Amino acid sequence: MEFENIYTFLENKYGENVNKKIEYGCNFIMPEVNISKDLLNDLYKKFDFSYLVDIVGVHWPKRDKKFDVIYNLYSIGNRIRAFVKVAIIDEKIETVSDIWKSAIFLEREQYDLLGIEFKGHPDLRRILLPDYFKKHPLRKDFDLKDRSWFNDVDEQGLGIKYSK
Amino acid sequence: MAETGKLGEVVTINMGPQHPSTHGVLRIVLNLDGETIVDARPEVGYLHRGVEKLAENRTYHQFIPLTDRLDYVSSLSNNLAYCLAVEKFFDLDIPKRADYLRVIFAELTRISSHLVWLGTHALDIGAMTVFLYAFREREMVLDLFELATGQRLTGSWVRVGGVKEDVPEGFFDKAKEFISIFDEKIDTYEGLLTKNRIWVNRTVGIGKISKEDALSYGTSGPIMRGSGIKFDLRKDQPYSVYDEIDFEVPVYEEGDVYSRYLVRINELRQSNRIVKQAIDKIPAGPVMTSDPRVSLPSHEDVYEKMEALIRRFYIMSKGFKVPKGETYASIESTKGELGFYIVSDGESKPYRLKIRAPSFVNLGALLVMTKGYMLADLVSVIGSIDIVLGEIDR
Repeated sequence: MEFENIYTFLENKYGENVNKKIEYGCNFIMPEVNISKDLLNDLYKKFDFSYLVDIVGVHWPKRDKKFDVIYNLYSIGNRIRAFVKVAIIDEKIETVSDIWKSAIFLEREQYDLLGIEFKGHPDLRRILLPDYFKKHPLRKDFDLKDRSWFNDVDEQGLGIKYSK
Repeated sequence: MAETGKLGEVVTINMGPQHPSTHGVLRIVLNLDGETIVDARPEVGYLHRGVEKLAENRTYHQFIPLTDRLDYVSSLSNNLAYCLAVEKFFDLDIPKRADYLRVIFAELTRISSHLVWLGTHALDIGAMTVFLYAFREREMVLDLFELATGQRLTGSWVRVGGVKEDVPEGFFDKAKEFISIFDEKIDTYEGLLTKNRIWVNRTVGIGKISKEDALSYGTSGPIMRGSGIKFDLRKDQPYSVYDEIDFEVPVYEEGDVYSRYLVRINELRQSNRIVKQAIDKIPAGPVMTSDPRVSLPSHEDVYEKMEALIRRFYIMSKGFKVPKGETYASIESTKGELGFYIVSDGESKPYRLKIRAPSFVNLGALLVMTKGYMLADLVSVIGSIDIVLGEIDR
């Protein structure tokens, strides 16, 4: 099984809604957001992509579709790695945690750092940052020198304030 | 709204963040029915330093020292994974000698990391002696690191395009000395543990994870191989010169703590074999690529040629520019699949860098491995996952 065969199947099924590119030795499949979940399901069921390696979110503030979500999939039987790259407009996308359990942790991380909401996720909470933190640091508009979040640290109301 | 279990009320307790068996600052919120675990929720982030954000504000070379601080007991593999990802943008020709040196150091790193795991895991379960022996041998590996890189833990020695410099004279003799005695030392550890009745009782049949769950939860490395899945990036997607070296991938079917222990012990033997072959095969030659896009010009050129001086100044002050696009490279690190996903917008700093940390994903499977077991078994399960919090929290 080669990547080309997989892509031919997807092209026949989804037509213009899916694109591909090969960049620096990585195979990218780029579906529209409305069919992305079906496409991922197909990859899982028909092509043995049973190992979800990673989920990456990228923020593009100047684009119409402000976020990219990239699923890094690996098929152990066929030794193929494929990246499914979905561009989304309103920072919301369906969860894949019902297909791969590893998405439970990986989606929580992207929610925490980029603020992408995964609809249907069983336990969407912050994971690396504390709950009182309101912002999403990996967004491009996050100000590195802004220390105002420090005022939220005072959860117990002890009157600790950050002043400059 | 107290839940009731078989033995009365289900109690919620905190384990950590300050607990000797959590290997750092990991907090686990446990629901206990008597001493049986009903629910275990790992709470991480105590060591979060925002490494991925820091990367966006540093040049590609400035980020190398930060990769050391991810999984701080196997820093040289982290360097390697990051540099492989950046090299993919340029399609660089890495000199053979540099590739072999990378393999030698990646495997020595695996040995030193697995020895830390072996020592602390055994210490958690109550076998004090193994810890002392394991750290005695680890000291020899760290001496080798010190000889070549100048640092015992944070090497920062692998560069985009090669390695920083060639190993000093006498390094290979010292490495061979270590290799020749190490197989016997592994026999010693095995003599202390493998058939030890207490060890067997504490590990066999504990923390089971099935083949399907191991795959679905995205575990990699020894956990996956301990559950009967033959997957090792060194074989499946060979990088550097692993395809020129003969070694085996140990796989065990049971999926319990004991089989993960056997996987790692056998990996120690295989790593030793790889280092031995690599030292025998290593060719002479340069250790850094001469590609002008990433490498610094030589000192002689800088003293004599104006353009070499300018290029050196430019790379040192602004960093090299990386072509637009996105790519991913991963290696079989000591804990599993360690990958770097880099998005470049054509500047000298990454636009976005995502670290696929093996410990982070492996920890996600903690509940499956502990549900229904006793509280005391949690300690041996955490030890068998082999977590490093620097990598989980990033």
